[in-house]
Amino acid sequence: MTSPYQCLVARESTETGPGGWTLFGACGSTLVAQSSSGGTSAWTKPDDPVTETQPQDEETEGPPEKKVKLSQPPKQQKANFSNLIVSSDGRYLVGVTGEDKCIRVFETDITNQLRQLSERCMTRRPCSIALTSDDSTILCADKFGDVYSLPLLPSPDYQAPEAPAPEPTKEAEWVPSATVLTVHSGRNRKTLEDQLKQKKKGPAPPKDDMKFEHQLLLGHVSMLTDIVNAEVDTRRYIITADRDEHIRVSRGIPQAHIIEGFCFGHEAFISRLCLTQSGRLVSGGGDADLYVWDWQNFKLLEKLPLLDAVADHLKSRSELAVGEISKVAVSGIWSVAYQDEILVACEGVPALFSFKVGATTNSGSASTEFSSAIALKGNALDVAFLPISPTSSVVVVSIDHVHKPGSTKEAREDKDVSRLQCFSAEENGKWQEDSHTSEALKSFHDQVFDVEAGAIGGDDSATGNGKGLGSADDKALRDMLYNVENLRKRPGAED
Amino acid sequence: MPGEPAKRQKREEYKKTLIENDAALPKKKFYRQRAHANPFSDHSLTYPKSPADMDWASLYPTYAVEDKEQTTSRSHDNDEEEKSTAVKALTKNVEIADIGCGFGGLLFALAPNFPDTLMLGLEIRTSVTEYVQEKVRALRVQNAATGAYQNASCIRANTMKFLPNFFQKAQLTKIFLCFPDPHFKQRKHKARIVSYTLNSEYAYVLKPGAIVYTITDVQDLHEWMKGHFEKHPSFERVEKVFEEGEGKDGEGMDECVRLMRSETEEGKKVTRNNGMKYVACFRRLVDPAWP
Repeated sequence: MTSPYQCLVARESTETGPGGWTLFGACGSTLVAQSSSGGTSAWTKPDDPVTETQPQDEETEGPPEKKVKLSQPPKQQKANFSNLIVSSDGRYLVGVTGEDKCIRVFETDITNQLRQLSERCMTRRPCSIALTSDDSTILCADKFGDVYSLPLLPSPDYQAPEAPAPEPTKEAEWVPSATVLTVHSGRNRKTLEDQLKQKKKGPAPPKDDMKFEHQLLLGHVSMLTDIVNAEVDTRRYIITADRDEHIRVSRGIPQAHIIEGFCFGHEAFISRLCLTQSGRLVSGGGDADLYVWDWQNFKLLEKLPLLDAVADHLKSRSELAVGEISKVAVSGIWSVAYQDEILVACEGVPALFSFKVGATTNSGSASTEFSSAIALKGNALDVAFLPISPTSSVVVVSIDHVHKPGSTKEAREDKDVSRLQCFSAEENGKWQEDSHTSEALKSFHDQVFDVEAGAIGGDDSATGNGKGLGSADDKALRDMLYNVENLRKRPGAED
Repeated sequence: MPGEPAKRQKREEYKKTLIENDAALPKKKFYRQRAHANPFSDHSLTYPKSPADMDWASLYPTYAVEDKEQTTSRSHDNDEEEKSTAVKALTKNVEIADIGCGFGGLLFALAPNFPDTLMLGLEIRTSVTEYVQEKVRALRVQNAATGAYQNASCIRANTMKFLPNFFQKAQLTKIFLCFPDPHFKQRKHKARIVSYTLNSEYAYVLKPGAIVYTITDVQDLHEWMKGHFEKHPSFERVEKVFEEGEGKDGEGMDECVRLMRSETEEGKKVTRNNGMKYVACFRRLVDPAWP
């Protein structure tokens, strides 16, 4: 069995003529790319750590299927992609693999071969990444609430600021920071004695630091869930959202230490932020509504009744047999290219919800209206926009074909469900299934079978359990696909 | 824990006696609590959705903007609670925050020294917060004639997570960080109340020119706090005389530094133990122009 595409992202590829595009998808730890001309390619994390170094990687450009077959250490750490973004010039793909906390930068060439340029492992798991508008810098928001900046392309002459050599001597002189004067209780005094004893045994092994160019920009004392880079006139901003209902607006680099303000109002966690074409900020998470902000003035403009829309839609699809729902967890908000519209996905809901951001009136107020729900054959996982013409795009949705539509736990009975669905906008603004594009993406859809068949084969020879990524145990898959609702705070949780 | 029920029972009985006697000062021994709290956990905290949602009037009733309607405090976590739109405002804003105020020693020393300035103690430990609140209540009753201590109050809060929920941008003139939990272990350093990233939040709620006061008996923590504030472009260290004064009387020392050295509970304990006190104060600078 194959796993669904948990991440999708697309770019314009004008090399193949106007209306050309490339779609990238992540299926477990495999990346797949397909261009409008039909060529596909795939990339899988090399297994042998030795081959992961940069120069080797550049030389061994063989088919990834082979690589997987070569060796599969029994306890190989999985590295499933949790985020994928494309630089605005389309040349670079940046992915985050969650389990190993790595940020991987890929270069794409005309034949859509993916070449990994760098992999940089952070000390904390990245939750969301963004690129500055000049594509020079990656902004990485992590699980511990910090935001780091990293150059997209590390400069070759970068030297770690602290040479590792003098450190051991420093650590040899380590003195516990507590002294007999600062310690008052018996138990603490005992701890201090232990510390002094420990000292004689020598220093603890140094922590694994990030040995590449990076800078701490800002931090929340909460898990970050999304980060957005914004530029208005000449001013750059970084907008961050966290599990404690905060949306923080900071200045961009080099003044990221200055907090301009907060957008207050959410009562549950925030999971996604999205800037609309007209520059408004839409936020969503565990609340019943989406919030639309004049974020530069930290003003809530309106609330969009998402829960109602979801509940109505599910009710209208009786075949799903989903009962009354009382909550939603927003797993994605996307601004539709070329128009002031957003699409919203909720965890475990087999539909996308479209809201049209109304035109701004003289008073500066505008209303956003729920326009329609796009029914899907399975739970929506991710969305990408293929720029098929200068004014319109096709929506590609990745579908969970493993779980029952409307459920994040039960396996579905019907097989052979497509993992992708495509929609294009009609004249009247409604989204219609686009079988033409679906057909064009057939090799993207099928390509993965090959890779994963290879993966399973490799696994068989190595461990004999036949558990490749495709058939990874259900819980692991579920955790990878559905992790937003988990952000909700449990009532009465006391430490 | 053995003896726990008896302890709880004693505390409850004691608290009943307090209800009967309005002016009685609370006794610390009934409010002691473990000195550490995990700032990362989701305690069942209540906090306002935003500074505008904060019910200040119930904390400083004599400064309340006239509004007869009595409303219960708006809690964030409790959706069932009826939400009033009439948020109770004050005639003036809180300007001094004592973060991690403990048993409130500094707060009660500051209150008479700055009678026209509202100050708030913020403490993460429930019982300790309760003690300070009881003491505020008792002192207000005792000083009903002069109206003293109407300017001091205390709430339970995790300021590391929710400071901007309580205070607006540039609202405060002083923040005190007195004898914070040193979190000795390297692994716990992110839990320290001072860090480069948290300093941005302090800068946000402070007016330009406002002061952050820090004091600790742990040299390592002192160096840490100094390092993180000095690294932060929104702060500068104050002049030496501000922190230490001159001569043996410490002439020219800032009045708040003097109080912080002598009036905090930890400060007194350190004096008893002949420990060191390390003071460092930082001034909030004006934000530079946009690049």
